[in-house]
Amino acid sequence: MGKNSVDFEPKIIAFLCNWCAYAGADLAGTSRTQYPSNIRIIKLMCTGALDPTYVIKVLLEGADGVLIGGCHPGDCHYINGNYKARRRVAILKSSLETAGLESERVWLRWISASEGVYFAETVKEMVEHIKKLGPNPLKMEWAI
Amino acid sequence: MVWKIQGVEGENYLESIKNFLNQLLKSKNVDAVLVPKRFPDGNNTAQVLITDPGKLDDIDPLAPVQMVNSAQIVKELTKDPVKEKIASVLRPCEVRATIELIKLKQILDARLYIIGYDCPGVYNVKDYIEKLEKSNGIGKEGFTLSYVNSFLSGKQDTIRESCQLCTHFTGNSADINIAWVGSNSSDVFIEVNSEKGQSLIEGLAGEKIGDLIERNQKINKILDERKKRQENEIDDFLGFMQRCIRCYNCREVCPLCYCKECLLKPEKMGYSSDRYLRRATKKGQIKMPVDTVLYHLTKINHMAFSCVSCGLCEQACPMDIPLGRIYNVFGRKAQALFDYEPGRSLDDELPVATFKEDELKEIEDVKE
Ligand code: FES
Repeated sequence: MGKNSVDFEPKIIAFLCNWCAYAGADLAGTSRTQYPSNIRIIKLMCTGALDPTYVIKVLLEGADGVLIGGCHPGDCHYINGNYKARRRVAILKSSLETAGLESERVWLRWISASEGVYFAETVKEMVEHIKKLGPNPLKMEWAI
Repeated sequence: MVWKIQGVEGENYLESIKNFLNQLLKSKNVDAVLVPKRFPDGNNTAQVLITDPGKLDDIDPLAPVQMVNSAQIVKELTKDPVKEKIASVLRPCEVRATIELIKLKQILDARLYIIGYDCPGVYNVKDYIEKLEKSNGIGKEGFTLSYVNSFLSGKQDTIRESCQLCTHFTGNSADINIAWVGSNSSDVFIEVNSEKGQSLIEGLAGEKIGDLIERNQKINKILDERKKRQENEIDDFLGFMQRCIRCYNCREVCPLCYCKECLLKPEKMGYSSDRYLRRATKKGQIKMPVDTVLYHLTKINHMAFSCVSCGLCEQACPMDIPLGRIYNVFGRKAQALFDYEPGRSLDDELPVATFKEDELKEIEDVKE
């Protein structure tokens, strides 16, 4: 782990809610705010609809990071999906740690539809962090 | 509130429990009792639904064997509304699973009375049968009673690992608990924990008694030992998962895996010959059956916060994966996040069905 970390380009899967974080990503795009191309976006209707299994799946398949982006507390389109998502992510991270996997690769961020710049910053920050962490060791793990 | 019911005391705990259930049925406080009973032949016990008090002979809730988590049976039994009152006599882990399933709207509890009892733990089925066969004619009842004595004298190293780790071995969240640990006769005491529980013993002759001090001391001593046994880490989770053949046995016997349509069904996971080949190509090779880690980690994320650590998963595992310990560790950690104790009370909301606005801030940001 950590070797070649500087020149490796992490692959990050982002699960973004339709109403806030996804719109934030859209805004970053339409206003031509630059951000690294390491991110692959999957749109959700709400972070509350994210089953942890999808996060586990992409990590086991070798994604270097997972970004879960939703509405700021109080702003969820479905009232409290994001609060419940936060609890699920807490359980998920605890279970990854117990399993000996790196929970640091999973990020939860609140990004509103008007925060295109913050979205771009988050992606930059995350790419840098994951570069330091190195490639996901599960990438070549075949016996799982 | 602890009660001593008149006329219950028999020659041993099993007989006292039988006499108590007999009074419940005869008084018509309940119409049916679900309770473990020995088969006349064969080496096992099963839950039996009894309406005739004359059929209570050979009941054996203390036999150190557990074929299923009876919460699953209670679920089946209560799926339609009925007018009869049903009392289910359950081990504490079954009581707690039942309470979780009530919260999950999988058990209708309008006519259900939950009777817990002090549980001395169980062997894995195979061990039970083997030990019973070697017990040289003391009989199945004799075997249970000698097991209960060895439990009381502190010997329990050969029982199922989940039982060795169990710190909830009395039914204090049941409507009533049949207490015998710390009784210095062959009598049992009735701990009443709810209004429903009170209505169960309505009209039975008995008296309230004070705290059973000796009982509390005995229980605390066992608790202390068991807490020491609770391991905090699983050394080689991925290694254990390599043994998994994804037979789904642990899901089938898990009382908390209640979904009718499981996300982990092979059909849902999108397996096709072509996909296997593509996945193998990506990593150069891939273990078959695939996704054993995905399976268990998903199951853990779906139910560990409600896991009552009954250990049925371990008993059902053909590959001897120590699932009892594994789920115990994952469960305790998930529960600790929300100070949640599965089966403690119907009033505690399921952790994933509720939230606090001001919590888990550390989850929202990864600090370097
Ligand atoms: S709608 Fe955005 S998190 Fe719920």
